[in-house]
Amino acid sequence: MPEFLKGNYKVAATIEDKAEAADSTDAFEKKALSRLGGSICFVSKKGLIWKGEMQPAAGAAAAGEATTRTASRATHDDNGDKDKVGGAGTKDSPRA
Amino acid sequence: MELGRKIARALEAATFERVAAVGLANAEVNRPRIARSVLELAETPLGTGETAIVVGAGPSLRRRRSLERLRASGFAGTVVAADGALGACLRAGVVPHVVVSVDPHPERIVRWFGNPALTAAPADDYFRRQEMDPAHREDELSANRALVELVDAYGPKIKVAAATSAAPAVVERCEQAGMELYWWNPMYDDYDRADSLSRRLWKMNGLPCLNGGGNVGTAAWVVTHAVLGRRRIGLVGIDLGYAPGTPYEQTQYYPELVELLGDRYREAFIHTESPVTREIWFSDPAYHWFRDVFLEMAREAGCETFNCTEGGLLEGPGITTVPLDTFLETAATPPGKDRLDG
Repeated sequence: MPEFLKGNYKVAATIEDKAEAADSTDAFEKKALSRLGGSICFVSKKGLIWKGEMQPAAGAAAAGEATTRTASRATHDDNGDKDKVGGAGTKDSPRA
Repeated sequence: MELGRKIARALEAATFERVAAVGLANAEVNRPRIARSVLELAETPLGTGETAIVVGAGPSLRRRRSLERLRASGFAGTVVAADGALGACLRAGVVPHVVVSVDPHPERIVRWFGNPALTAAPADDYFRRQEMDPAHREDELSANRALVELVDAYGPKIKVAAATSAAPAVVERCEQAGMELYWWNPMYDDYDRADSLSRRLWKMNGLPCLNGGGNVGTAAWVVTHAVLGRRRIGLVGIDLGYAPGTPYEQTQYYPELVELLGDRYREAFIHTESPVTREIWFSDPAYHWFRDVFLEMAREAGCETFNCTEGGLLEGPGITTVPLDTFLETAATPPGKDRLDG
């Protein structure tokens, strides 16, 4: 369609590429906003703690590479209830 | 909508932009030093009972002399401090059982533990400019030297719940001071997504992921409940706001707000009257977001959270506001379990 809309004349005004300017403004705002953020993330609608998932025997070693005790405790701790604050000591799943 | 609240709504994503890359890089660097999971802290003898105090570095700590009153009470429960409050705790004679550190900043955070390498006032005015700890503002080098000595003296009694995002300089300083580190991953994103960074980190190091709530004070509350299992938690110094009369120039995000908004930066501050103290405190977009997040988390958590700050802006469903002395009077204090050194 743009091919059919081409004019057969020249205009005096210089037309700026607004898209590029908008991109640059967005990038500036994103960068500036990121400096206003916190020191650690918050993930809404997730529990306070996620201990990982049960590992098959072959995978446990990989998951526990750094801390073998941790790997031995790895559990799926959110009980599949993604809309509640899950994990230890919550209203819906008392700490074991 | 007020400008400050509008910016606050963007901060969940902005925080990810700010900390994810450097946090993951720090997790890689810290990896060889990870020996214990934070879950092991739950099996470690700390304070007695199900009651705990979480200490943040907000201005009410000094205005209400919260730490001096805590020490005088002989509180026998668990004391968990944000790293920014460690100096205030030790100066007041309160040795926290656990200190929480999360911030990945490469140079600043080590100062909360006393930086033995600091020999001249740094160009970065982060500590001099702000209202957080007046000791640093008055004489930065002397305050640092005194803190180095205190942390060296009490370090072996203190455990650190360290996020894998913590700056390597902080990790080195804690180890050098004889502090035991217990590790966890910050929850960066939805771990149910296949491409989740949280999931990738867990696969890498096997550590649990904690939802940090935007700041170290909230993360300390998360550790206290979700890891240590404490069900009755009092907050001191967790104001999530600035005290009346604080100059804007001394607020944490002042340079960034000026950069973003220019002359309109004042419009980003949100003033609120405390229904308890009737004082007008104020927040910037970040603190406003921290407050909203804390209230969201506290509403759903299976613990009682008591705001004992006697100031600040943390009020709403899920939070019971109570004077510190009342909270301490009702806390179990078995004899011979005094954690508050003098």
